[in-house]
Parts: sequence; structure tokens; C-alpha cells
Amino acid sequence: MTRLTGFLPPALARPFNAVGAALLVIAALLPWATFLLNDGAFPDKATLQFFDAPLAVTGFRWQLLLIGVAALVLAFVRIPGQGRVLRALGWGGLAIGVVGAIFIASEGGGLGAITAADGTTAFGSIVAVLGGVALVLGSTALGIPDIPDWPTRFFGLSGWPLRLAAWVVLVVAFGGVLYLVSLTLTAGGIGGAADPYAGPIFLAFLGFAGALLGALHGAGVTRWVSRLSEEHRGFSILVLVACAFALPFTEAGSQYWMQVAATIGVYAATAIGLNIVVGLAGLLDLGYVAFLGIGAFVAANLSGAGASALGWDLPFPVAALIAAAVAGVFGAIVGSPTLRVRGDYLAIVTLAFGEIFYRSAQNDIGELTGGASAIPGIPPISMFGTAFNEPLELFGAELPSGVLYYFLIVLVVAAIMAVFANLKNSRMGRAWIAIREDEDAARAMGIRTGKAKILAFLVGATLAGLAGAIFVHKLGTASYESFQFLESVTLLAAVILGGMGTIPGAVLGASLLFVLPEKLREFDEYRLLVFGLALILIMRFRPQGLVPDRVRRAELAGETAMGKSIEEAEEQAVLEHEEALSAQKEDRR
Amino acid sequence: MSALLEVSELSVAYGAIEAVRSVSFVVEEGQIVCLIGANGAGKTTTLRTISGLLRPRAGDIRFDGESIAKAPAHLILGRGIAHSPEGRRVFARMTVEENLLLGAYTRRDESGVQQDMNRVFELFPVLGERRQQKAGLFSGGEQQMLAIGRAMMSRPRLLMLDEPSMGLSPIMTQRIFDTIRELQQGGTTILLVEQNALAALALSDRGYVVDLGQTTLEGPGHDLLADERVRAAYLGQG
Amino acid sequence: MTTLLQQIANGLVQGATIGLIALGYTMVYGIIQLINFAHGEVFMVGTFGALAVYRWVLPESVQDQWYVALPLMLLGGIVVAVVVAVLMERFAYRPLRNAPRLAPLITALGVSVALQEVVRLWFPDAEAAQSFPRVFVDAQVDLGPVQISATGLLLIVVSVVLSVLLQTYVNRSRMGRAMRATSQDRDTARLMGVNPDRVIVLTFVLGAALAGVAGVLYGAHLNSVDTNDGFQTGIFAFTAAVLGGIGSLRGAVIGAFIIGLIKTLGGQYLPGGTQYDYVWIFVVLILVLVFRPQGLFGEAERVRA
Repeated sequence: MTRLTGFLPPALARPFNAVGAALLVIAALLPWATFLLNDGAFPDKATLQFFDAPLAVTGFRWQLLLIGVAALVLAFVRIPGQGRVLRALGWGGLAIGVVGAIFIASEGGGLGAITAADGTTAFGSIVAVLGGVALVLGSTALGIPDIPDWPTRFFGLSGWPLRLAAWVVLVVAFGGVLYLVSLTLTAGGIGGAADPYAGPIFLAFLGFAGALLGALHGAGVTRWVSRLSEEHRGFSILVLVACAFALPFTEAGSQYWMQVAATIGVYAATAIGLNIVVGLAGLLDLGYVAFLGIGAFVAANLSGAGASALGWDLPFPVAALIAAAVAGVFGAIVGSPTLRVRGDYLAIVTLAFGEIFYRSAQNDIGELTGGASAIPGIPPISMFGTAFNEPLELFGAELPSGVLYYFLIVLVVAAIMAVFANLKNSRMGRAWIAIREDEDAARAMGIRTGKAKILAFLVGATLAGLAGAIFVHKLGTASYESFQFLESVTLLAAVILGGMGTIPGAVLGASLLFVLPEKLREFDEYRLLVFGLALILIMRFRPQGLVPDRVRRAELAGETAMGKSIEEAEEQAVLEHEEALSAQKEDRR
Repeated sequence: MSALLEVSELSVAYGAIEAVRSVSFVVEEGQIVCLIGANGAGKTTTLRTISGLLRPRAGDIRFDGESIAKAPAHLILGRGIAHSPEGRRVFARMTVEENLLLGAYTRRDESGVQQDMNRVFELFPVLGERRQQKAGLFSGGEQQMLAIGRAMMSRPRLLMLDEPSMGLSPIMTQRIFDTIRELQQGGTTILLVEQNALAALALSDRGYVVDLGQTTLEGPGHDLLADERVRAAYLGQG
Repeated sequence: MTTLLQQIANGLVQGATIGLIALGYTMVYGIIQLINFAHGEVFMVGTFGALAVYRWVLPESVQDQWYVALPLMLLGGIVVAVVVAVLMERFAYRPLRNAPRLAPLITALGVSVALQEVVRLWFPDAEAAQSFPRVFVDAQVDLGPVQISATGLLLIVVSVVLSVLLQTYVNRSRMGRAMRATSQDRDTARLMGVNPDRVIVLTFVLGAALAGVAGVLYGAHLNSVDTNDGFQTGIFAFTAAVLGGIGSLRGAVIGAFIIGLIKTLGGQYLPGGTQYDYVWIFVVLILVLVFRPQGLFGEAERVRA
């Protein structure tokens, strides 16, 4: 993104912004496809509707219209962080245009579909792309302003009125997040024959949501809200959990989406556990999914499933605790080499443990894992006389089956978040961060690094084991195939994509990595390819993740990829400084 | 005599920390010039910037009339500047001979390289006797000889020596300084960085005092030796 | 007894493949301290490169003349492997040269996944295992009680010869000296006029060429190749490199032969049979890393510092 900054002289900023915004508005009002595609009218009737009701704008064109109008207003009204806001809107419009153009062109058999064919014209996507590019160029011509800081004490309020006002802001903000999550989940429908255009609609919506969040971030709103929520932590957690509980009551409260959301919750919980090991303590674990697996198989054997060798039938809470404990013990065992092994080598040790687990599970070790035939027939969790796969009636609302699992996983994720947050600010958390930054220095300061590192593995593995117990009940089968190396990489990618060492990061990362494949099933063939490329690109352009940890930035000056010499680190610092300088220069231009 | 190396208002930073703020000096062809100053004054950083290991933030470095401020490290040697780094940095797991051959890495004239190697062995007979031994087995003084010899192997026009006397016995230090004199007489221009200010200034045609990243004083070596401020600050005499 | 000898022979053949790959792992780690997970994929694309040459380049009349087909396929495999390795160094790893240490490691995982998928998606029919022509004398050689296939023997011979050649190159040549200097002290090497970028590219090229050779011979030996062969074999190769002492060329090859033997002998004699042969390799890997991280072979001839 920064590459594009300052391509234009400042004088052209406003004309480009205005023209770009206007083009986005126009694009939203133009037809997008010249003819009816084979699978029916293009999403939101971008073709047909134009002819019978050109102004009845819905779906992605409605979103584009919102972006365009907002940009048009902001092009003339000065607000703090204007450049950033407009840039975000520009990228959003561009994304919507590109998704539409590519999809209609490839589906409709060529450029004719998005330009002119059979006497009709449909330049919507092309105009949107042009508008997006113009807006991005225009918004960056004046340089990228700093994100404005908003005070957390506002309107001259103090005492309980201030607290009340802050609470209102938080409720509104989290409510907005809930609404956005619900919209994101349901955007485009569940795909398949019923929704042939689910993929592009969803991607276009992501462009819109990204533009919205980017604009709010650029205006300093997200930072303000996050600081408010830090100051009112207890209340925020309460609201957050309440919002999560409210999700089934929204559009997204169908059986299908509840199941998806519960699965995401399992992976999010696991990712937070991994985040303790990788994000806080800086220990790279490439076999982490094994702990999820251990928890899963232990729980399966204690579930009373007919196919399990042990066949014990324990109440779920007991079984889950045992599963977590066993996983934790294995975590400590896997972590014990950290006493002697560091860095890359430790990563390989964990990879080896993961592979040993996978192979052993594949071969039905001790007849505990069922091998290739897995352990089927695991009964659903049953507590208080209710089986968790039953639908539920609550406050007069019919909630679909699977919703109980969703509620359970929300509680577990909230608990794990609380554990993580407390650990991070505890003595042990500071020890972990110290180890991550410089292990030798940490040791010199009197931190018992060995104990701390093993504890990190133990805690992380325990959380994964707990998640595994829920996972296996929800799924109904425990199969070794769920725990292969690629899953470990995916979890790691979730942590990195979200931002190492931060809670929202792990949850966001897990959500993205597990929602996207669900949403884009028609591109399933390319899922892994995109995943691999995404890993490369993230590391190249945003290694700190989407929600960076403030402390963690310090690490950039530490150990480097090419060895540990201080000179190199210094040299790199100089180079970085230069880059920053030249970037500033570009910005100024 | 003309200026072989001209450093003007050089500024180098590690991140936000400015290690060198404004260093300017001139090295004329055939001279020995030394930079003296306290630890952390920015002398080593200056040399590392001249050889391209660090990038200047501002200022210019001109060698033989051309700016080399932006040239990458591996091309600096080819222009005729050899750098014997602080702490010797010999390749410990390679033999003496291999270390010297690396010094001549950019040269393709094998017979000339052989000749120069023999010259190094004449200058430092102990290296010749143990040419097949790994450099890591050598004493500090011997490693320093190897580092200087290695820098000579490229037939530089300008030889930069960073703290050649560091950690050496007085006798060994004297030998190294004698060698530096010999090299100068053989036509090599020398830029010397030393904490041993007394010996360095006595040897140098010209000296510069670097303090907190700035060149503060300059003059012919003997004048600086006599300067009271220098005596007070660096020679331990009030 | 015969079984033992036969399994030893099988182990040596496997070790030969692993060894050629391990050399690339150990060289790259020695110079830029990167566990290049994607190196196993370089081996895999080499195999498919050779297969492509066989299918679409070689005229049918020479397909069964191994002395024509094999060299051309080797050439194809090497070229493809080298091109892929150079591209990944240039575009994936080089921009991260000064990034935090985890970044290139994760990038390597990404490159590995992406390469596997590219081949699986776009090499015709590569969703399933592909049969690979046996482009060498298709015979069993009798060595006393042991039988070994001609392709297996070729693998062992080529592996040993190439590793000796590589060792000589690194120890004696000018570029070899530059490689060792760069791995010991990159900044000082730059002061000698060594361009680290060139040395690193050369390292990737050499490693990829060896992996390409391994890929072609491995395919010819097994008669079958699959897109996910690379990762597993790559991990074995990394294990071998660690076992031998990372950075040591000789260590990598000897470590590879030991790994090959552990796999076949463990599969034969240890509880669990061949289903657990992978497990023993990983157990050995962990034990070595924990108790002798410098590997079996001391520091004497390490490429690395």
C-alpha cells in the first residue's frame, strides 16, 4: 500500500478524490453484466434490475454506493486522518470492482461481459476499479497522516457520567461488531446450488467491511474504542460475551452458521493457547495440533462411545478436565527439550512430536485412536438433562440445533481469553515476554527460564486439550486425519495473521482462516495454494499481523534471520531508519 | 599530493541513535592519518560506513574524486579500499593461506597473488611457517598480523586499520606500528583508528579527534600530540 | 541374516536419496541459518520436471534408450529445480534477510505448501500418484545374498560421488572459499569483496541441482512419484543434516545413510513394523537435538561458523 503513496503531486489530491468518489457512486448505479449469466442473474441482479429499476440498488452495489457517497462527502469535509480514511474507502471500492470484474468476465466468457456485448453496455465494474484507483491515488497525494488520538475522557465529563458515556460507546461499538459479524457470516448465503454467487458476493462484502473498518481505524475510532475498552475492561468483557451470546438471535442464527461458528470457536480457543507458546514466550511450535488431538482422543475414550477401547462413560466436565490434564502433561513433556534446545531446533522438535503423534494415531496405538477407522459414534455432550445437539427455545426464540455447542464454546473462549489476559500481565507473563525478547538476558535477571518455558507449553497444551474435548463431541468422531501437520501450520498462521501475542489477533486470525474456506468453497481446489501464498505475503508485507502487539514491535531490532550479530542488527536498524525516512519523504511529496 | 579520501559531514544512525553526527576529514595520498577518540565516539562506525557495511544518513564519502557513499560493501574493495576490522575478525576455521586468498578474492592474477602472499610471509614470518594451520589457533597478535596481511592482499590504495593494537602486548604493538610505517613507505595510504593515541599520533602525518560523533580537532600528528586539550583528554596528562 | 543384509541394502538406497537432499539443507542452513522447509519441494519439482521431459520432450524412439533419456531427464529435473530454488530465494527469502527469525521459517512453510499445490493443480493428472518411467537398466544386481536394483545402485553411487565432488568444490575453489567465509562471518566476507547475495544464490543453486538429481533417480527407482513425496523426504533430509551436524557436508550424507538404515531396519525389527518406521526417525531426531545438537560429527569440517 505504501508503495502507492505520493505518486501524485499534492495539488491533484482533491480533484482525484472527488472524481474517484464520484466514479464509485456512478459505478454503483451502472449495470455490471451485459447479459444473463448461466447460473442466473448476477448477484443482486446487477444486470436485470438496472433495466426495470435502475435506482433500486441492493447488495454489493448498495455497499459501493455507501462507500462512494461517504468518500464524496469526505473529499470536501476536512476530518482528522482524512487521507487514511479516503484511502481505505478507495481500496474497498477497488476491491469490490476487481471482484466483480474478474468474476463476471471469467464466468461470462470474456471481457464482453463487463463492457459491451449484444447491443448492451455494462461498465460498472470497470468504472468502480477506476474510481477506486483514483481515490487511492488522490488520498495518498497529500501523504498519509498519523492516526488521530481521541481522548478517553471526553465532553468534559468525569466520574459516573463519563463512565456511563464510555459504557454507551462500548455497547454501541460491540453491537456494531456483532452486526458486522452476523452480516459477514451470512453474506452470500451458504453457497452451493442455492447460492451460485456466494463466493463473489462474500468477497465483495469483505471489501466493503474492510473499507469500513479501515476508515474507522484511519479516523482513530478503533484505537479510541480499544483504549476505552482497556480502561473499562470488566465491562467490555461482559458486553463482548453478551454480544457473542446474541449472535444466534441475528440473521446468522441458523443451524449451519451456528455449527460453523462453534467450529471456529474451537480453533480460536486452540489458537489462543498456541498464542501463549508462540506469541508470549516466543517458542515456535510446529506440532501444536497434537495437543488438540490428545484432548480429543482422551475425551473420545471417556465418552462411552461404543467404538472406543476404553469405553468409559464419564460426565463431560470430568472427561474434559481429564482430557485437558493429559494434554497438559504431554505439553510439559514436549516442552522439556526447551531446557536444552532453542529457536529453529525447538521448532523441529515440536514438529517431530507432532508427526509421532500423527503416525501413532494413524496406527491405532494401544487401540486408543481407532486408527484408520477412527472412533465414531461419540455421543453429544449431555448436561442438565439436555443433549447439546438439540434445538433450544430461549426467550420465545427458536434456536437451531448446535446452538448449545456455540454457547459452550463462547464460554470456553471467554474463559481462555481471561486466562490469557491475566497471564500476560502476571509475573509469569512478563517472564515469558522477557524470554521471548532475550533469553540470556532473562536468565541473567534471575528468571528461571526452564520452568517458565515448560509452563508455557503446559498451559498452551492444556487449553488445546480442553478445546479438543469439545471438538470431538461436537463432531461425533475422532479421527487422526483432523490432526495433521497442515493443521498445526494453519493454527500458527491464524496466530500470525491475527497478530502474535494479542487476544483479538488470535480470534480474528482463526475466524478468517476457518471462515474463508467455508465461504469460498467453490474455490476449494485453490484453498491450500492461496493459503501458502498468503503465508508468504503476510511475512513479506505485514509480519506483525492484523492486530499488532505494541510490545512486540521491539523484537524487530533483536535476533535477525541471518544470525545474531549485534552489528547486523544495528545495520538493519539503520536500513530500517532509511526506509522510514524515504517513506516519509515520499509521503511529504 | 591530492585528497585520496574525503569524508564530509558524515552522519550515521542506528535506528534513532545517531552514532556519527558530523565527521569530516581528508586523507591525502601517501599519508598515514589517524582518528583518535574515546570509546563509542563513532570511529569504528565511520570506518564501517566508508567500507559500505553501513549506510550514511547524510554527508558524503569521496574516494579518488568519486562518491562511494552509496556503493555496496563488496564493491568498495575493488575500488582500492581495504578494511581490517575491529577485533581482527579472521576466518577462524580456515587456514592462514585461505584467509589470505580471501583477501585477494577480487583479484584474478594468480602469480601476482602468489607474490603478494610471499610478501606477507616475509613481513610476518610466523604466518609463513604456519600457513596450513587454522587461523583460530593463533594468538591475538598473530591474528592481527593475519588480518593486516589479509587486507594487504588486495593491493589497496587505502588501507583502513581499526584498532590494530587492541589487546596486544607492548612489544607486539610496536611491531605492528613498525609494519604500518613500512607499508606507508611502500606507497600505501593508511587510515588508522586507535585508542592508543600516543603511538598513533606519533606515527601519523595527520590526526583527527572524534568526540561524540563529531570531529572536533585536527592537525599534524605532532601538533596534536602537543595540544593540551588532547593531552588532557586522551593521553592522561594534564 | 539375509533379511538383515537386504534391509541394509534397502536402507542405503533410501539414504542415498535423502543424502542428496540433505546436502542442500545443510548448505543453506550453514549460510543463512534458515531451515528451508521448501527444499523437499525442490526435490519434488525436479522429479516432475524430469517426468515432463519424458512425456512431452523426448521422442518416443529414444524413450527406452536410457543413455539418451536419463541424461536429458536429469538435465530437465535439474533445470526445473534450480529455477524454482532461485525464484524462491529471490522473491520469498531475500526480502526477509533482516526480518525477525521466525518470518523466513514461516515463509518457507508457505513456499512448501504453495509449490506442492502448484504442481498438484497444474501438472496434468498430478492429483494422484504418477507412474515414472524406469529410465535405467531394469535389472536386479546380485551381491552375494543380497539383491539390489540397478537403479538403487546407481542412486548410491551417484550420491557418494556427488557429495565428494561438492565437498571438494567447497573446500578448494574460490567460490567455495567465499561460501565458507560468508557462513562464518558475513560482514567480514563483504569486506573481502564477496557479494553475499551471489554466494547465497549459488548455495541455493547447488542444493537444488543435487535435489533435482535425487528427484529424477528416486522417481526412476520407485517407478512412481507423488506431489506430497517432497515434504516427508525433506523432513528426513533435514533430520539427516541435523544428525550429521548441520553445516557439515560429509555429516549430512553419513547422517542420511543412518536415517535410511533406521527406517528400513526399524521397520523390520522394531515393534510396530513398517507402520512405525517414520516414528523411529522422529524419535532419533528428537534425541539428537536434545542430547547432541551439534550432531554426530564435531565441528572439524563444518561449512558453518
